[in-house]
Amino acid sequence: MTRLLRSAWALLSSRVTSPAVLGIFLLVYIVIAFGTDETLITLMAVTSASTALLMLLALLPLSSAARCYRETARYLARRRVLRGEPTQVPEGLFEETVRLPAGGSLDEVKGRLEAEGYTTSLAGESLGAWRGASGSWSRIVFLAGTFCLFAGILISLSTRTSHRQSVLEGEPMPTAAGGGGVVEKISLVPGTGRILSRDLTLQVARSEAGDPAKTCGLYPPALYRGNFVYPRYLGIAPQLKFSAPDFAAGKEAYYVLNIYPAGKDDKVEFAGSPYRLDVGMAEPGDGSDPFVSGKITLLFKLVKGKDLVLNGSVPLGGTFERDGYRLSFPSYRRHVITDFVQDYGVLFIWTSMALFAAAFLIWLPVRLCFPRGELAIVRDGDGMRAYARAEGGRTRHNGVFHEMLDLLESRAHDRSQGGAGQSEMAGN
Amino acid sequence: MPTLKLIPHLLSYAGIVLVLLRAFAGRRLLVAVASLIGFVAGIAAAVLLFRFCPGEPGFGLVRDVVGGGFLLFWGVAVTAVYRSTGHDLPMTWWDDLLARPAAGAAAALAASLVAGAVCACRLSSGDSLITYLLLILAAALLVLGAHALERQLPAAFAVAPAGLMAVVVALLVFSSASIIRLDLFSPLTMKVMKFAHDFVHQFFESMLIPDHLFIRTNLWGYIGLLFGKEIGFWGALVILLVPVFLVLLSINFEPLPQVAHIRQGAQRRRLLAEAIGSRRRRLVIPGLSLVILAAAVYRSLYPSVEYWDPKPVAVTATPAGEIFIPKKGEIDLEDGKLHKYLYKAGGKEARFFIVMTPAGKLSVDLDACAICKPDGYGQAEGTVICYYCKTLIPMETVGKPGGCNPVPVPFTVRNDGVHLDAMTIINTWGSTVQATARVKEAGK
Repeated sequence: MTRLLRSAWALLSSRVTSPAVLGIFLLVYIVIAFGTDETLITLMAVTSASTALLMLLALLPLSSAARCYRETARYLARRRVLRGEPTQVPEGLFEETVRLPAGGSLDEVKGRLEAEGYTTSLAGESLGAWRGASGSWSRIVFLAGTFCLFAGILISLSTRTSHRQSVLEGEPMPTAAGGGGVVEKISLVPGTGRILSRDLTLQVARSEAGDPAKTCGLYPPALYRGNFVYPRYLGIAPQLKFSAPDFAAGKEAYYVLNIYPAGKDDKVEFAGSPYRLDVGMAEPGDGSDPFVSGKITLLFKLVKGKDLVLNGSVPLGGTFERDGYRLSFPSYRRHVITDFVQDYGVLFIWTSMALFAAAFLIWLPVRLCFPRGELAIVRDGDGMRAYARAEGGRTRHNGVFHEMLDLLESRAHDRSQGGAGQSEMAGN
Repeated sequence: MPTLKLIPHLLSYAGIVLVLLRAFAGRRLLVAVASLIGFVAGIAAAVLLFRFCPGEPGFGLVRDVVGGGFLLFWGVAVTAVYRSTGHDLPMTWWDDLLARPAAGAAAALAASLVAGAVCACRLSSGDSLITYLLLILAAALLVLGAHALERQLPAAFAVAPAGLMAVVVALLVFSSASIIRLDLFSPLTMKVMKFAHDFVHQFFESMLIPDHLFIRTNLWGYIGLLFGKEIGFWGALVILLVPVFLVLLSINFEPLPQVAHIRQGAQRRRLLAEAIGSRRRRLVIPGLSLVILAAAVYRSLYPSVEYWDPKPVAVTATPAGEIFIPKKGEIDLEDGKLHKYLYKAGGKEARFFIVMTPAGKLSVDLDACAICKPDGYGQAEGTVICYYCKTLIPMETVGKPGGCNPVPVPFTVRNDGVHLDAMTIINTWGSTVQATARVKEAGK
């Protein structure tokens, strides 16, 4: 069991795991690409439907978490070595390891290193020296970001549900269980930021079921009963009153029309009559947005069977009357085709973006202005061991390290020569 | 005329044989014979394939085989560069396999088989047996010529295994690029474009980012750069050329021999100079592959094919909003040619075409796809081509949505002709094409 756990830990914490898993997904992608043009969408569908692929994908956040733990432990271990705390120095903790004979003076080395701008820590027979700030923190934040990113993708692929609904002014929010608050107002105004050109808001009243009043905007999307409210398309639902000489009873209702932005047409079929109304939205001449301004003119064609009966335009709020036909649009409501998305993976992905940004903001100044360089000398049996590692400014740091080694070796050599001379004299 | 068309394929085949003979110089006769047998077998296989699977499935299979070879080359290139950096892989079995006498023959057989099949794709079903026999005779002469030429090459001119793979794959890609239905580069371009398009779309959807309707035009213009054909072209070029660069790097990274134990400085220098010289000579073949692949890209971008691209005929709708196009009349809808139409109403317009597919069914599609700027389609050699991204769509798949296929439009066929709903045409054009066109224009 222990062996199995060790193997699992070795697999998860290996640097190779993530590239290997990504490589497998790339291969799957290529295989799919041979069969279909909708490759990415098919890969996502195949992954979300396959337990094996989901488990493979799960290796990515697990590996990131394992690497995060391992690199934090290594960072702490290096810190202990530099502070002179008695500890085992595992293989590969530093980039360079050199074994030296005993006999050099650590005090002299300490002075030299301080003159070179290093902070030192001499504890017993161990000397640690470092300069700059460690980039390990940015690496750990980056790995945490990677964990959140892949965990988010995994959660999204395996649990995301989405329902497209039409949200209409004056009607309750179309929730799965019903009883949502009434949408009091849908408004679209010119955007003030640098990203969004228009700001859309859906004002939802407090519901009888106890949902609080809510204002749903565009971004970040609001949560309503555990679903993100993701507005997709806009439309209008005019109240239409229609009557004809042979259809005196007429019709009166709100009709949801998919005619925004101008250029799209929609049809209204009057059940129980031979009439059909083709409706489009006129392009305003002044370049304004009819949804924002509320000044909407409808272009219409009234068709009876296969014959065109009427053809014209009428502003919302107006009436068109001719030859006994009457078309009236007394009012209208705005509507928004909205996706109600339940996907908590999104929260992880947002967090990952914040973490990636933080990692970059930590890494860049540290790497450019204060690159970390570390040196350590510890007693090892009858000799000494010297360690070095650099995250930047490697040439200068290695130069100092090699000078320090030369100094220690020459002092050890002098001491052994001196010792031999003294014993020779003593022998005489 | 068929002889002229076959020249690029025969030249590619001759190049493949020449490089194989040099790579397996110890077994020239075996490689030469295997090359000829492979070529003849490839022609026979292609003839059988097109007899049982005519049209796109046959071409698709040959194209996939060339594509599979290219994919294998990617794997070889990555492995080569990984091994050259001092990392070890458990691949002694592979090295042992390559050292076996049959390895050269197997490689020659496989490469020539594909080359023969590609070559046979150029011939039409109407070509006589004499044409095939002449083709085989030409192949035999080319093998003899390559055999003679290879002996004249200097002995120092060596071919690394990864370099061999590079040039063989490059020649096969070049050969297939000469037949528009086997071309790899334009489908690759489309796949990259489609990936960029889908990735941005999925990213927006996954992160619940509002659609372009709500985004500032200038910002959307920058995002639109990701949807342009330039992304497809450069992405495909990178995918095509990077493995060759990896092979070049792997040769360049090869460690020099250990000379520290040699006491004479002159001998040390001579050994090192020889190793460096040998390394440089082995760079020539992969370097040549880059040129061949560039030529394949050129052939793909500028194919020597004329497209049928009729001027759109203006049509009108009945008051009830129906467009009717008769089957017979000035235009015969069932003649297998693509026929374009233009419908205009109230300041809006839409372009569409009607074509009879090889399955004998009429298809009505917008003269535009859902991902490209609506530059329209032309028709040639059993395909339609998207003029914007140069992707070839097999006629068999026209009428199916997705990728760079023309957007299908619902219609009804009756005895008299094709009936379409004008509003559907306008709305489909508006929702899928005009939005995409705005993105492209803003992105430029």
